[in-house]
Amino acid sequence: MTAWLVICAVGLGTYAMRAVTFAVVSERGLPAWAERPLAFVGPAAIGALVGGMLLTADGRAAMPTVAEAGAAVAAFVTVHRTGNIARGMLVGFPVLWGLTLLAG
Amino acid sequence: MSGIASERLDVASTPTTRDLARAGARDMTPMVVGIVPFGLALGAMIGASGIDPWAALASAPLILAGAAQLTTLQMLETGSNPVVIVASALLINLRILLYSASLAPWFSGVRLRLRLLLATSVIDQTHFVAVPRFERGDLGRRERVAYYAGASIWLVSAWLSSQAVAAAIGAELPEAARLDMAAPLALIGLLAKSVGTRPSALAAVCGLAVVTVGAGLPFHSATLVATVTGITVAVFAETRSRLVQEATS
Repeated sequence: MTAWLVICAVGLGTYAMRAVTFAVVSERGLPAWAERPLAFVGPAAIGALVGGMLLTADGRAAMPTVAEAGAAVAAFVTVHRTGNIARGMLVGFPVLWGLTLLAG
Repeated sequence: MSGIASERLDVASTPTTRDLARAGARDMTPMVVGIVPFGLALGAMIGASGIDPWAALASAPLILAGAAQLTTLQMLETGSNPVVIVASALLINLRILLYSASLAPWFSGVRLRLRLLLATSVIDQTHFVAVPRFERGDLGRRERVAYYAGASIWLVSAWLSSQAVAAAIGAELPEAARLDMAAPLALIGLLAKSVGTRPSALAAVCGLAVVTVGAGLPFHSATLVATVTGITVAVFAETRSRLVQEATS
């Protein structure tokens, strides 16, 4: 019972954040002061999420393995050149597997 | 250009809403590849946990946000205080307010009921894929809705079914394939695309740096603090470069 209540509360609260904003901001537009900060939400959040991957479950920073780092660099360079994220993964995975084999 | 040739060109270059839904789904595919291993792992955890299995399964469509769902389930499992669980999960999801606020203006003029439906899928991936596409400025309102709907439906259906399948029959992923790296590589791709201007690059670097330093912040707030810091630094950098430009011109 507690599980249902907690999950419904989290679900309702999360949907409220989404729905209230979509109901209000779509109609009235953004306040002028918010426009420039919100333009950087994507890059800042993506950076934060990438940083989060460098952490262990208990929140300590952990160095990626050579294979992981190599795959990340290969994917970054590929996407930077081609603008195609799928292609970055197609290049990143073979690099990851190859370097893992070499290191093992 | 005149006559038949230009007419053909017009027809060929006017995508239908169906084309746009498909384009949205296609652009979302790398993100889907990234979330499926996570969905499978979460589903397997649900299958093996001591929580009411129906409640645990229902948490996927009810919350529609992986990090908060994982935290909620883990804290339920360890028997944390219910109020603390709800507060922690909602704090993790506060970033959704930022995503919603920057997506919402693109749907102005869309009728409210449809907007409330579109709102259900506001999350990292839908924001990261849709906003850059909308900013190119070539899509009308109906086309934006179609693109967003196509991208969202593909993401959400893959997310929910991967959890359901793994909860029912378990998930044995071949460890050597390192599918856990799919999500990081997709994120790296997003990073590479989002650092086009100096302030944006600065926002990303600050976000990354703050999260690694602030990992110990209470209530899983490091990501949010890092995002807000990145935004703030980028706005200052942009203002400063604008002032410098004005002063020298």
